[in-house]
Amino acid sequence: MQAPDDAHLTRDPTVQPLPPAASAVRLPKARQSLASDTHPLAQPEASLPHVPALTMPLRERRHTPSAAAASLFRSTLTPPASRSASPAPSSLSASSLRSPTSSPSTMTSATTLPLAGSVFGSLASGASSSKAQSLADTPAADDPGEPLGLLLRSFVPHVAVHASDDADGLARDKGFSGGLWELLRPFGERVQGRIVVRDSNGAARSWDGFAVRFVRFGEGLEDPEATAGAAQGSASEKMLSQVEAVVERHLRFAEEAYVGSPPSPSATPTREGFEDAQATSPYYALYLRRLLSGIPLSSHESFAHPVACVMAISSRNPAPIDALQRLYRETTSQGARGLPPWADGDYLRYYVLVHDEENGDIAKSMALFDQMKRHFGLHCHLLRLRSTQSAETDDDSIPLPRSDWMTAAEELADIEAVDARGDDVEDPTRYIFESDATAIRTFVREMVAQSVVPTMERNISVWNDQVASRRRGLSGRFMSLSKRWTAFGSSGRGGSAGSGSGSSSNYDAAGFYRADAPEAVMRRLADYAFMLHDWKLAMSTYDLLRTDFQNDRAWRYHAAANEMCALALLIMPQSMSSRTRLETITQMLEQAVYSYHIRCGSLYGAVRCTLLALELLRLRDGSGIDEAVRWGVRTLESRMTGPVGEALLRERLAVCYASKAGAGSQAWGSRRRKSALWSVLAAESWVAQAKHVQAQRCLAAARQMYALLPEERGVQRFGAASDFLAHLHERIKAGLGPEMASAQGSTFLGGASGAGQPTEGAGELVVDEESETLGAKRSRRASLIGPPPGGGAGIETAPLSNLQNAGVSGGEGVRHDGFG
Amino acid sequence: MSYYFAIIGTQDNPLFEHEFGTSKQGGDGQAHFGEQARHLNQFVLHSSLDIVEEVQWTTGQLYLKVIDKFFTSYISCFMTGGNVKFLLLHQPNATAASVPGAGASGASTSSASRSSTAVGANPTSPQTEEAIKNFFYEVYDNYVKAIMNPFYKVNTEIRSPVFRQRVAAAGRKYL
Repeated sequence: MQAPDDAHLTRDPTVQPLPPAASAVRLPKARQSLASDTHPLAQPEASLPHVPALTMPLRERRHTPSAAAASLFRSTLTPPASRSASPAPSSLSASSLRSPTSSPSTMTSATTLPLAGSVFGSLASGASSSKAQSLADTPAADDPGEPLGLLLRSFVPHVAVHASDDADGLARDKGFSGGLWELLRPFGERVQGRIVVRDSNGAARSWDGFAVRFVRFGEGLEDPEATAGAAQGSASEKMLSQVEAVVERHLRFAEEAYVGSPPSPSATPTREGFEDAQATSPYYALYLRRLLSGIPLSSHESFAHPVACVMAISSRNPAPIDALQRLYRETTSQGARGLPPWADGDYLRYYVLVHDEENGDIAKSMALFDQMKRHFGLHCHLLRLRSTQSAETDDDSIPLPRSDWMTAAEELADIEAVDARGDDVEDPTRYIFESDATAIRTFVREMVAQSVVPTMERNISVWNDQVASRRRGLSGRFMSLSKRWTAFGSSGRGGSAGSGSGSSSNYDAAGFYRADAPEAVMRRLADYAFMLHDWKLAMSTYDLLRTDFQNDRAWRYHAAANEMCALALLIMPQSMSSRTRLETITQMLEQAVYSYHIRCGSLYGAVRCTLLALELLRLRDGSGIDEAVRWGVRTLESRMTGPVGEALLRERLAVCYASKAGAGSQAWGSRRRKSALWSVLAAESWVAQAKHVQAQRCLAAARQMYALLPEERGVQRFGAASDFLAHLHERIKAGLGPEMASAQGSTFLGGASGAGQPTEGAGELVVDEESETLGAKRSRRASLIGPPPGGGAGIETAPLSNLQNAGVSGGEGVRHDGFG
Repeated sequence: MSYYFAIIGTQDNPLFEHEFGTSKQGGDGQAHFGEQARHLNQFVLHSSLDIVEEVQWTTGQLYLKVIDKFFTSYISCFMTGGNVKFLLLHQPNATAASVPGAGASGASTSSASRSSTAVGANPTSPQTEEAIKNFFYEVYDNYVKAIMNPFYKVNTEIRSPVFRQRVAAAGRKYL
């Protein structure tokens, strides 16, 4: 199993731009049989990003601001940036453009989605088949670029890393300034091979691509509400704004890359938009991923609480056993860095001895390792790493992918660092020795398969037996009932959680449940079940908790339990009739959003909740889609997101509506006009933010939708609306036009030499357009609505000026530049 | 209260458009839509045709009541026999006529107590439904008379100034 995997990794990735693993997931039928084939390549995610890592910097060096920057923006890099490498005729454009696409998300989403559409799409057959299975078993779940895939990959067990100074030093010698944690992190994103998980009924299920999240021990700590109060709201707002900032940087980079790249007829964004109306935009995927990647270690949900902690020392340590004991003491609640009282301190400790292959004595390390096993039991591992830094030129070096799940703040810091240092910064891609990669992979797999998952299973069954089932039984119901009555009786209960609640409730006056309170244990139980995809247990436990938290007025807890209950219910195979089910879900989401937004002021929670619900509802088809849009509109209405999020959300609503398939030849019940409307609105807000490439894409999607209507005319018969579309198009053209021309009209790459070029062409051409608009309005509109030969062509023959002098060119240029 | 009324032909083509405001409760009869609302109203109305096409088969009535909602705008629909649709977009609160195109569209629950009694303050209330129904039926009468004109070609724009006057009168009378 090891050998073929490594063979794949060492193979020159440029030879094979589309790794087989990515295409293997496509077909649901083939999936089962192919699953074993993909098995040897157990690291598709780790190996995929190698493609751009090797090729992108070289290509980008020619025309983008910074080579290093290109690899930072890899996850959303779309064809405009890679275009220069493929001056292919337009017939080949689709495939040749796709293949060098760097991000796995764009690649897979575009190709998988038609299929997802067929599974969920048709009213007759699709509904019944999708009802019968859990959403997690549908193809969309396997796709890391799809929101559902993102959701499943984001709520994963967190493993804290707590390393001694010498172990961190060893990692630093290898070029990882963040220490051992940074070295391990990418390997947790996809654990090699299949992991067998038993659910609460004892049924074993194995699945590929199990993931754990390595975090620094004690990082991302969030204070419970009572102590932090107002600071809470601002923290969650800060988090949202960071997410926005990251996406904004990616968008800006795309714009700049578009400016920098010479145009080719095949690759205007107009054509881009024609691919697939239901594809997930890479920017939206990025938004969601960054939103989900920094789940704070907070009191009201235990996803970010460590399930296990890696205690690592290296062979350099003079007193290893003592060091390990010291590390252990530090992580206990009495220790200096112990977790707060609401986090369970009783997680699994996993002891790792990092052996320095180059300077250490293996015999000594083996002896030490034996000693460790005697002291600490079986949860130990000997990790053999080379201590020198690997360079790109080394024979057996492989690039280490950047983590997909870095937090928004981290990525922002990275981008800013590159910006600050300017052009001469070296490529941030890190390299490690292949033997090291193999060793770490084996270590992660062993830890997850033999320690983490079994521990979680055991905890689930113990908590389920001891705590949850007691509540589920008849007496449990009475207990909660009697609790409620006593609470009702004691009059002092009212507003304050002071003396009255002390006797009957476990809810601490400080605003949290202690880790050993039954509510906290049950919340952990439900979260563990959710992370191991035991939806039923998770859902029923969250359901119990909902009422408890409501009675205790623990609103943040209440919101989180409602949120997760709704999500689990949506993912679960559907059994209830869809009507009652949808009502239940709506009610829960309602409470969750209300509690998050109004009662706790946690925007982060509210946005996360609505976006995830939107995505899951969308996959549930039928009336689910209308419901999904309702949530999206509500998010827009309450203005929870910033401008970038708003534009992305509008775009997403268009996709939502587009995915509602109608019945029959008239597509009865489809929402094409609605979809187009949201595309137009999205284009409008992109233009307002001067993101013309993105706006162009939205407008193209709108056109495509209008073209699908039986009348094929869209809104063009409506005067004002049609004029508005034309105006929007003009503005996009004005935003893109000069930039396109600057690249086309000159071969310069620095950007200065074109400044002296004459600008009459620009003025003339725009004036031309204007007179056409006045004179022959009809024909102009027709060209807007139909498949746009005009749109693309207009851009390519655009004026011979560049970005800089667009501002000083003729009157028209100035006017449009205000928007651009 | 601002209203935007449109008659939509069988090819999604507008046959007649008219904007007006409420005349009740001291209204001036002028539409108070926001700056961008002119095109936006058309987009919204057009997009509601999706819902019309779905809803029209679920009931035997010509009057479909409120079928769609877009932020603060509500859309009522009336089907005529020839698959020509009457669509009325109504925005309850004139001050909340902020357009979602500008991103500004708070849930404006702070409508004054004065307007809460007005027709259409609550777009789904029976009174409003009844008023809109009456409006639609009166327009329908006039529409039938208008298309009986021998010089009118079916499914083309209605240019008759008399028809426009009568629609305006119906609006003043009921809304």
